[in-house]
Amino acid sequence: MLELRLAWRNVWRNRRRTGLTVAATVFAVTLVVVFVAMAAGLHEKMIEDAVRLQSGHVAAAGRGYFEERTLDQFLELDQELFDELDGAPGVLGWAPRVISFGLLSKDTDARGVGVLGVDPERESSVTTLAGRLKRGDFVSAEASRGIVLGERLADNLDADLGDVLLLFSQSYSLETAYDLFTVVGVIKFPDITMDRSVAVISLADAQAFFAYEGRASEVAVLAKDADHAAAVAASLRTAIDGDAQVDVRTWDKLMPDLVQFIFIDDAGMYIMLVILVVVVGFGILNTILMSVLERTRELGVLLALGLRPGAVFRLVYVESLLLAGVGLLIGLAIGIPIVLYLQANPIPLGGDLAQATELFGMDPVMTWKLKPMNPIGSCITILGVAALAAFYPALKAARGRPVDALRSV
Amino acid sequence: MRWIRVPLLLLLLGTGIPSAADEFPPLSEGPDATEIARKQENVLRGDSAYMEATMTIESPRLPAPRVVTMRNWDDRRNKRSFVRILAPTKDAGTGFLMKRPNLWMFVPRVERTMRIPPSMMLQSWMGSDFTNDDLVRESSQLDDYDHNLLGVDPAPPGHEGKRAWVVEFLPHEDAPVVWGRIVSWIEQEHYSPLRQEFYDEDGVKLRVFELGDIRESQGRWFPHRWSMQPLDKNGHRTTLEIRTIRFDEIFDDSIFTTRNLKRTER
Repeated sequence: MLELRLAWRNVWRNRRRTGLTVAATVFAVTLVVVFVAMAAGLHEKMIEDAVRLQSGHVAAAGRGYFEERTLDQFLELDQELFDELDGAPGVLGWAPRVISFGLLSKDTDARGVGVLGVDPERESSVTTLAGRLKRGDFVSAEASRGIVLGERLADNLDADLGDVLLLFSQSYSLETAYDLFTVVGVIKFPDITMDRSVAVISLADAQAFFAYEGRASEVAVLAKDADHAAAVAASLRTAIDGDAQVDVRTWDKLMPDLVQFIFIDDAGMYIMLVILVVVVGFGILNTILMSVLERTRELGVLLALGLRPGAVFRLVYVESLLLAGVGLLIGLAIGIPIVLYLQANPIPLGGDLAQATELFGMDPVMTWKLKPMNPIGSCITILGVAALAAFYPALKAARGRPVDALRSV
Repeated sequence: MRWIRVPLLLLLLGTGIPSAADEFPPLSEGPDATEIARKQENVLRGDSAYMEATMTIESPRLPAPRVVTMRNWDDRRNKRSFVRILAPTKDAGTGFLMKRPNLWMFVPRVERTMRIPPSMMLQSWMGSDFTNDDLVRESSQLDDYDHNLLGVDPAPPGHEGKRAWVVEFLPHEDAPVVWGRIVSWIEQEHYSPLRQEFYDEDGVKLRVFELGDIRESQGRWFPHRWSMQPLDKNGHRTTLEIRTIRFDEIFDDSIFTTRNLKRTER
């Protein structure tokens, strides 16, 4: 306790110098907290938007589907599977889909499209597909041969509500499958590729069209959020009880591109933050080293009076940690309220920025998210840097010889 | 003695590339590979041909093979072709018109004609292991490839008792070709192809095309059974049995029209 009081007084022996170092630390900590929360908010939003657009947090499909994506891999939609989905803890919603491809034509020219067969009611429990309608209606629950087109696809086909299109493909039984579908709606997919190439029909129509009765390509599952995906996937795997025909995957395995983007984005941010923290570390090193050098006599006297070198080492160390700790506390006290405020009040974006985010399939809003790891990580990093920075000055202080010290000015 | 030096050289270089050249007895003096390819092309392709054929599709998805019968008017000189499906009942009347590089299709039940886009050319044709591209292929195994004679196979697979030239086809840089390499077994006596192995650009063997039932027809020794086996899909095979073939027919222009597509009686 004596050491602590001693250290506290030593830290403030030069108020201006210490104040400046503390200010630098405060600035760095605030920046770290806000930036990390901004990245976390952005990434979580990207994941949620992608999940709610299509994939779900977790998807179950026939074994091999995620690699091959053909009609050969399917799920049997039976009561057993429904019970398993309903019974698995953490499952907030699930939606079966039939996914394949076909040729769609209004006049002579056909275009290749991805055909998505959905059960509209179930689908709305997982994705916001129906909410993205630009005009018309979403597909109905029954087999009604209605088709909803991506906006760019509709433009490319020169098709609008009420037009009758020919959908041509190959059924599961390898027969030619073709039928006329009426355009009932046009949907705005945020993803350009999807917008150009996806046509939605009802699950019942898709099953009849592809000779896929009682089957689905995949079932998309909604969890509370991305962090719960792994737990829900695990509970689903338990529920299906080792059914070797079913493969369960979490969003990060379904959307590796997104995971990679987040990784690269995080890496860029962390490199910047590391540079910031290193600069702060040198600030602390400078302050402590200066204070040790100007106290050569004082520390020498302590040593001459019989204070053990270990105690001197500890003293300088505690000074450094106190210095960083003060900056850390103030930084957190400023940063956390800012982040909490921004988390509660997201900033809407306008103009070009809004268009850019829409290109990525996101709503034009900046969100923040404070995860517990953020302030904890900041504490560990700053105190760790302070500990590193204190090592050399503390060693120098502890190794001083009283005789030399007394001779110095 | 050249054949000894080549593998030795490879060994010395430490490459050890397994080459088909090692498998066959060497030739000190062989005929020109391009000449062999030309004679093969002449056997397979007259200026025109009328054909009636049965296509049998085998797949693990199907409890029993699916059988499709069809007629084909092939006017190679003018680069156009017409196919009408006769059976099964569900597909009867479906028609295909190829006028390179376009492929139209007519589906009778809804009376619609559509043009199949280039991006769909590698998709399966009629559920078979042939692709749309196989139907309209612009490339010629004669003009779009370089030919190397790899050797002589004294017992070609499936055709023991015959002798075959083994010719490697390597596509020209700018050729409209999806394959990286084709190895073809060509019968020495009549120059009918016996077997073709298709490789992609990475040297992975993707499919094997086997020809059989070689009989004389209008003076040509023509393979009447064509069998395509994709190697990336287990249990798949499509066999085309040619029941009738007449070469060098003169076809009326009206056959190769989209209007004819809609006339399902033909």
